[in-house]
Formats: sequence, C-alpha cells, structure tokens
Amino acid sequence: MKLEDYKIVFATVGLIGVLILASPTLGLVLHLPGGEKFSELWVLGLGHMAEDYPFNVTAGVSYLVYVGVGNHMGSSTYYVVYVKFRNETEPLPNVTTGAPSVLAPLYEYRVFLEDGGNSDVPLAFSFYNVSFSGGQSTVGGLTINGVPFIVDKSVSWDPVNRGYFFQLFMELWIYDPASDGFSFHNRFVTRWLNMTASV
Amino acid sequence: MKRVLRGSVSFLLVLALAGLFSHGVFVVRGADEASSSVGEADVAVRQAFNATLDAERAGANVSGLIVRLNEAGGVLTEAKIALGNGNSSEAASKAGQCVEIAQSVKGDADVLKASALDGARTVFWASLTFSVGGIAVFVVVLEFVWCWFKRGHVRKMLGMKPEVAADEA
Repeated sequence: MKLEDYKIVFATVGLIGVLILASPTLGLVLHLPGGEKFSELWVLGLGHMAEDYPFNVTAGVSYLVYVGVGNHMGSSTYYVVYVKFRNETEPLPNVTTGAPSVLAPLYEYRVFLEDGGNSDVPLAFSFYNVSFSGGQSTVGGLTINGVPFIVDKSVSWDPVNRGYFFQLFMELWIYDPASDGFSFHNRFVTRWLNMTASV
Repeated sequence: MKRVLRGSVSFLLVLALAGLFSHGVFVVRGADEASSSVGEADVAVRQAFNATLDAERAGANVSGLIVRLNEAGGVLTEAKIALGNGNSSEAASKAGQCVEIAQSVKGDADVLKASALDGARTVFWASLTFSVGGIAVFVVVLEFVWCWFKRGHVRKMLGMKPEVAADEA
C-alpha cells in the first residue's frame, strides 16, 4: 500500500469519527420525516371483540357496542366522534369526496389521544316509540348513553334481506390547530340494525 | 265599589301579563347565557389542547394533561347535550366546570412547556459542547497518529533494501 492509500484510510476514519461525535447534536437539530400519518376508527361488540354485534333489535332493550379511536398522526390529537342514525334513503359520508353525511349528529364523543394511543368508549343505545304499519317501521326515538333523542325515521320492508333496516354510524372528525376548527377525517364505521317487533 | 273592583282586576291582569312576559324573557336569556357558556367552554378546551400540543413539541411529557383534557371533553359533551335538551342551568354549570378544567390544563401546559424548553436548552448546549470538544480532541489525536504513522512508514520505506532477482533462465 502506498502512503496516499493510507491517507485516504485515515481521512475516511476521521470523517466517520467526526460524524459519530456530532450525531448527538445533529439528532437534536435535524428532524427526519416520520412514518405514514393516519387515524383509526372501529366499532366492537360485547367483550371488546369483533363479534356479538347487535343486529336484530327491538324497542325497549338496551344494546352495547364499543367505539374505538387510534392515533398515529405523529403528535397528540383532538378527535370528535359523531354518532348518527339513518334509514336506507339517507346519505352516508362520501369517501371519494371526503364529505361527511349531511345528517345532524345525535351524540358526540370528544377524544384526546397521544401519538400511538388508542381509546374505546361504550355506546349503549335503545329504541323507543317504535311502530310497524303498512309495510313500514317507524322509530320515534333513540336513547344513547341514557340521553333520549327524537329521530322519527321510517323504513320500508326489505323483501330481499327480509327486514326493516336502519343504520347507526359513527364519523371521525379531527381538530386542526392551524385553522382552529374541526374537519371530517374521512373515516366512518356503520352497523346495520334490523328493527323487529320482538327478538 | 265597581270602579275599585275593575281597577284591581286590571292591575292583576297587567301583573299576570308582566309575569308571563318576564318569564319568557328569563327563559330566553337563560338559554342564551347557557349557549354562550358552552361556546366559551368549547374555546377553552381548544386553547388547552393547543397549549398541550405546544408543550409536547417542546419535549414535555403530556400524558397527565391528555387524561385531564379527556375529562374536560366529557364534561363539554354533557354541557352540549344539556343545552340541546333545553336544560340551561345544567348546561351552564357543566360549561363552567369544563372551563375550570381547561384553564387548569392550559396553565399546567404552559409551565411544562417552559420547563421542557429549559431542559432542551441545557441538553442542546451539553451535546454541542460534547460534540465540538470531542471532534477537536479526535482530530488532534488523529493528526498525531497520522504523523507518527507517516514517519514510521517513510522510515520503513527508506530502510528497505532493493532485491535483485537473478534470472535463472
């Protein structure tokens, strides 16, 4: 090996050493981009499992599901989960355009999560003033976590799936500190409910 | 006598009307005040969250603040539901409770942020001192090793004797 070759080896070792010694300070100054930022929204049945969801429902009986939110946005995040109720003709959120459902929320959860954190909250619901007549089922009211709401929605008998189908759905909204407002986070979960005279 | 009776009836009628009107005014005013209180609570929670986010960006551990923000969020939801159900007094009371928690969170977040910034500044200067000092020592030592190595290498080269290989063929 020539002296010039040794010189290159020493320079390389020197450069690596300098980088290693500078790394604590560089780590404080340079911020590398994190991974993909996203949020999760889910609904679980009894026992916090993806099973035992209420499906055939009737008036006066209380049902329980769990609504969960997960934060992977890279920092603490403020979410609002809106609970809405619809019949088959009313619109769901539009995932393509990112628009929420135009239906007014009945109930809301405010959830604050650290990055990587998740939380699930109970959603207990029951129906009242339910009637059946002329091939239609009408729900007068819905109680969510003990709070009554007048909904007054009707559905027609579905001859294909054989039932009166209503849908309970949850939308995830996120707070943006820059605009000091909430926006639809383009995530929602739904549960079909078949209204019956008795289960 | 008739005049006195008529006067009394008129007075009572006016009194009843005034009572009814004032009741309506109080109910509307109560609802307005509750609505405004809930609005203030909403703003207070957002401000508390922004302060918490600032503290987190400064490097503070905000787990405790997040727990209390969830508490404030729950109370705010209760206040909104009470307002929606026309229960103004409960809405105003819950809103007040929410503002109290939110303001306490904001105050603690500001303190945590200042403390985290102080800590971050100390860590920055300590690591900068370590890096600059370490690099200086390393470069000097490397230069010394290089000079020593170069001298040895040159000496070794000069000490070598040329070998002549005989061509046996």
